[in-house]
Amino acid sequence: MKTLAVGSEAIIYEENGTIIKRRVKKSYRIREIDEKLRKSRSKAEFNVMQFLYKGGLNVPKPLKYNEGKKEIWMEKIEGIRLAEKFSVNDAKEVGIAVAEMHNLGVIHGDLTTANIIRKDKKLYIIDFGLSYHSSKDEDFASDIFLFKNALKSKHNELYKEAYSYFLHGYKSKIRKEFKGIDTHLKDIEERRRYNESY
Amino acid sequence: MYTLGIESTAHTFGVGISDDEKIIANERDTLKPASGGIIPREAAQHHFKFAPEILKRALDKSGLKLKDIDLFAFSQGPGIIPSLKVGAQLSTFLSKKYNKKLIGVNHCIAHLEIARLYTKLNDPVMLYVSGGNTQIITYYNGTYIVFGETQDIGVGNLIDKIGRRLNIPFPAGPKIEELARKSRHYIEMPYSIKGMDVSFSGIETFISRLIGKEKIEDISFSLQETIFSMLIEASERAMSYCLKDSLVITGGVAANKRLNEMGEKMCKDRNASFKAIPMEFAGDNGAMIAYTGYLMRDYMQKDLAIKPRFRTDTVEIKYR
Repeated sequence: MKTLAVGSEAIIYEENGTIIKRRVKKSYRIREIDEKLRKSRSKAEFNVMQFLYKGGLNVPKPLKYNEGKKEIWMEKIEGIRLAEKFSVNDAKEVGIAVAEMHNLGVIHGDLTTANIIRKDKKLYIIDFGLSYHSSKDEDFASDIFLFKNALKSKHNELYKEAYSYFLHGYKSKIRKEFKGIDTHLKDIEERRRYNESY
Repeated sequence: MYTLGIESTAHTFGVGISDDEKIIANERDTLKPASGGIIPREAAQHHFKFAPEILKRALDKSGLKLKDIDLFAFSQGPGIIPSLKVGAQLSTFLSKKYNKKLIGVNHCIAHLEIARLYTKLNDPVMLYVSGGNTQIITYYNGTYIVFGETQDIGVGNLIDKIGRRLNIPFPAGPKIEELARKSRHYIEMPYSIKGMDVSFSGIETFISRLIGKEKIEDISFSLQETIFSMLIEASERAMSYCLKDSLVITGGVAANKRLNEMGEKMCKDRNASFKAIPMEFAGDNGAMIAYTGYLMRDYMQKDLAIKPRFRTDTVEIKYR
């Protein structure tokens, strides 16, 4: 088994073309919290991946879930993470992919360019550890808001342009009325502390 | 170069003096309400009352006179309007009277700069936890960006609110910590983390239903374990995402030993450095305003109005 990446909550291994994501124990939190979080997140992640895969979204094919070890097994996507190579043109495609995911009623919960892989001409969304099912405008907006912040913090120099491309792509595919989502988007920004816009 | 900094964003009035990068005085007084929380007007009255004494104590400590000061700095925000006005008015008056420059400092950035100074960590992720503030801040591309923050109330505020429900006087942190140490019984609570952001208001509602039904030691223990796990998890995500290898915890809630222990363990597990900063400089203080004013001395901004909602990520950091 080869270690591919050590993330903040999981270690990613590779074995014969299969990716194994194992949620590791965190010594800083008590067992009651740690066990519960690792178990519920792994299980939820596996279920959501299955749901999206069957729904036709580009996600790694989920293979199996091991509750004891808090492991998810999935197919490997051979590609490059957008965090490593990102241009404004990618942003529009991300918008389309996110809209398609939302159309299936799934909120990602951790949308960053590190969680999107480009393989050939396709974009794959990965890491559904904080995902949940919802079709509420407010939850759609929270995903968009997360991605906007991720752009700002990781790709500050192209953030404004990239964000407008992202929205353009998103609006072209989202089946709900964007106006309702937009209202919540503004609301989330204003709800944060020390907003200077009011 | 002598810089005098005035801090008055909330319930602490502080005056600090720095000699270039060295802190030579740091005096303050904090309003402690007999019951309930901070009333903005009372905080401002407290600051007016204590300003002359604190200013004098800081000058005596440094051995300086007001005419020796080269630069005046004040905490421009974020904070409570009546409190902010005291520091702004006093520093404006002093800078005019002695004909020296005046500089406005972002309170959150000042916390980060003093943390860097005292921990010697050059580029840490900072978990800033106080009554009003809960932010995970790190330097990126010319600004301090807020990587994660509370979507509703500050963590210290949550603790104080729970404290009020449990009849614990303000600030409730130390007592809650003491009670928590007596329990090992965890009551499951809402664990709300959204990306890097955290949210606390759900826990407040949840706990309000437990009062009278569960032991307060168990409530305190479960509260601390839940909210600190959330904060440390978000901090770890920020470190992982931004590839930073150190963490500092600052703000009033940094006084909590359990929070520090969790931060230390998390860092140890990922081979990162963890440093606590002396409590004198973790809570609100004038020294951090003086020091940050000194750092910003060549980049004076024109707008010296108080900014109650001053966001960390709107300040251009040109001195780094």
